[in-house]
Amino acid sequence: MPATDIAVIGFAQTPSVRDDARSEVQLLVPTVAEAIEMSGVDRREIGFTCAGSCDYLTGGPFAFVQNLEAAGAWPPIAESHVEADGAWALYEAWVRLQEGDIDTALVFGSGKSSPANPLELWPQQLDPYYLAPLGVDPASLAGIQARALLESGKATERDFAEVVARSRRAARSNPNAQLKGDVDADALLAEPYFSSPLRRHDLPPITDGAAAVVLARGDKARQLCSRPAWIRGLDHRVDPHQPGMRDLTTAPSATLAARKAGYDGGPVDVAELCAVFSPQEIILREAIGLPEATEINPSGGPLAGNPVMAAGLIRIIEAAARIIDGSANRAVAHATGGQLLQQNLVCLLEGE
Amino acid sequence: MTTTSGDKKENLVMEHLVSLTYHEKLTPTLNRFVDELLAGRIVGHRCPSCSRVYVPPKGYCPLCVVATGPENEVQCRDRGIVTGFTIITPVAYYGQKETEPFVYASVLLDDADSPLGGQDIVGIPHEQIRMGMRVRAVWKPEGERTVEGISNRGWGGLGSVVEAFEPTGEPDAAPEEYMEHIF
Repeated sequence: MPATDIAVIGFAQTPSVRDDARSEVQLLVPTVAEAIEMSGVDRREIGFTCAGSCDYLTGGPFAFVQNLEAAGAWPPIAESHVEADGAWALYEAWVRLQEGDIDTALVFGSGKSSPANPLELWPQQLDPYYLAPLGVDPASLAGIQARALLESGKATERDFAEVVARSRRAARSNPNAQLKGDVDADALLAEPYFSSPLRRHDLPPITDGAAAVVLARGDKARQLCSRPAWIRGLDHRVDPHQPGMRDLTTAPSATLAARKAGYDGGPVDVAELCAVFSPQEIILREAIGLPEATEINPSGGPLAGNPVMAAGLIRIIEAAARIIDGSANRAVAHATGGQLLQQNLVCLLEGE
Repeated sequence: MTTTSGDKKENLVMEHLVSLTYHEKLTPTLNRFVDELLAGRIVGHRCPSCSRVYVPPKGYCPLCVVATGPENEVQCRDRGIVTGFTIITPVAYYGQKETEPFVYASVLLDDADSPLGGQDIVGIPHEQIRMGMRVRAVWKPEGERTVEGISNRGWGGLGSVVEAFEPTGEPDAAPEEYMEHIF
């Protein structure tokens, strides 16, 4: 029986930029400090710390260890790390808080995509026998998924362009967004293909960035935050690793994660989806079962800024921000990992 | 693909060599450090909260979790104390260039709170190197200095700008002077 009295009470994120000259830990230091300050928690009293990052991005073994300095080298802390998006670090912290012996947890996620070539790097996460040696890159895989979606009749290329146009327009009010502007679908459809049927704008930008969240339990959350963003449910599931073994036009693990998180398709004010390629938003909307009226990615989503290993945590931040500022009362946040929505995490957030 | 003999079946062995390319610029913090180093100066950052001095500068104080910048820069004297050392006897492996035993010492500069790791000690037989020994930097002549080996994920190196440290001949420092700074 999951505890229902754990909430987001503080958060911060760096602006999403193409190339931030600072190191990953230098991105994290002010971000973590800002999240802690917003929460009102004394850093020295935080009960648990969990970070998400990827050493392949940084290009060095144990690169994640240096990031820990952002949590403070003194006093000693209880901490953990996931080689995954910070949203999975938040999951671990949420599970840890349910033990009931601590009241607060710090979570952060960070990644710099600028030093490496994503098309060269990401095939390494595929299976080492059939796909990695072929060098199948994320854009090519996403093209295959988009093609499957078109052939299924579930979406058109115009639908993809509409997702991008809406994301870029929404991002205009997000000071942290990397790509923003008043673009329309017709202009986007006139662009050449990059990975057919995807155009360059259907892909996420290459981004450096970091994000941090402070969680608190029960009375501690109420005492520190006038309107905490309560985590009503949180779950993550996986689909088969081999893309050839599944229907790429659906994401059964996203459906299962949503249901296990307690979301049954009912009314929800806002959804922040980690759809890193535009067709994936269409797949996720259906898989999670979001109603027409739900506002999708008012932040602009990952198409407007995709700091890998922080992008999923930022979805939870953006959803929680809307709860905390009172502009939404029920929100769904989604994070993803692996290729083509293979791993999915869904977080259901509510006001009091 | 190559094959090796198994009990009954032949085992298939597939080689999968991976090469990944990274283009990483030094952080602004290290860029400034390197410029100063090439000019013969060692600079660090003094934490505005606890006054500890980090060399090379990190751009933050990990104890106070506050960012530091150019406004916190201080210059350090190029002499200090050996706070710890290892004599390494190299074994042959791919990429190993050393063939003779060599020193890996931590040196705490007089004006710093964080020791420099991986420093060579010259001018004294290996068996006489000791904790507390006072040393000074041996600078490469200008024009021969390179900052190869200094990277964002380094552990406090001085590249080849400072070749090594050598004993000053002064009396050893008492353990109390450096016991809080051992790395």
